[in-house]
Amino acid sequence: MKEWATKEPLSYPVLIDTMHIVADLYGIVNVPAALWIDENDKIVRPADSTPASDMWRSFSGVDSAVHHELLRRWVRHNELTMDADAVRSFQVLPTSEVQQARLHRRIAIALRERGDESGALEHMDKAEQLAPHDWTIRRGNMPLRGVDPFGEKFMEFVGEWSAAGSPGFKLGTGRETK
Amino acid sequence: MTRLTVIDETGLHSFDDVGFGELGVSADDFARATGWLLRPEGLCKGDVCVPVRDAAAMSNGSAIDVAEFARVTGRNVVIDASRNVVAMGEQASSRAAAMTTLDAPDFTLPDINGKMVSLSDFANRKKLILAWSSW
Repeated sequence: MKEWATKEPLSYPVLIDTMHIVADLYGIVNVPAALWIDENDKIVRPADSTPASDMWRSFSGVDSAVHHELLRRWVRHNELTMDADAVRSFQVLPTSEVQQARLHRRIAIALRERGDESGALEHMDKAEQLAPHDWTIRRGNMPLRGVDPFGEKFMEFVGEWSAAGSPGFKLGTGRETK
Repeated sequence: MTRLTVIDETGLHSFDDVGFGELGVSADDFARATGWLLRPEGLCKGDVCVPVRDAAAMSNGSAIDVAEFARVTGRNVVIDASRNVVAMGEQASSRAAAMTTLDAPDFTLPDINGKMVSLSDFANRKKLILAWSSW
């Protein structure tokens, strides 16, 4: 990641969040995701799955240009399409299972860092049992388990998640209707 | 002496297990790491104080029980006693209440060079947060 992020001089910081602190604070359920915060530190657009490009468009069905255009309008002209109630209605609030799962995942990360792989696996399992449809937990754990996050296991997860009614996906900026 | 790892929103904290209560650590070390101080009026962080009914279970003066701390402050907690690690976090109800205020909570994380960066470093500016993974 460092190699990529330092290829070009960046005007913004790239932060490492192994414990998923920001996901917890802002209700991020998947990556890539974007959210907007205004000059008064108010959330004016909630966390939403928004790719930076159309690289995965055939899979995600998301036209990235829609978010880009909304973002330009906000930055340049202060135009917002959502009032506070609309922002709230699109926030993904956590369940107690997800909050508990985050703690198990953090313990897994800490145990992994100290070389306790079996302890880490135990806590990753617990996290996934508690939050089987949370992408940051289920998919986020895949590389830690040596599982391809774009492979067969991932497609299995997407199937389970879709069958459960795509929980956690609300706003869907730029999503093409099928 | 056994070391105890406590994980909260600010990161990983390592303490000596001083053998008090369930997960006893030095109250001074705990205050330095988390900002929570044991005072006559209760457990306090900044202006916020939480009353402590059973002071003897919480502390013996020099040590504080982290498990009791989590219970009293209403924090969500996972304890792995066999591996000497405990994680504390926000409960779903209080997280939801905080989120719906739409006030953007501050956070501090290391950048790719290890320099600590906070959201509040960008005060009075519009901020776009992008969450992504390098896989």
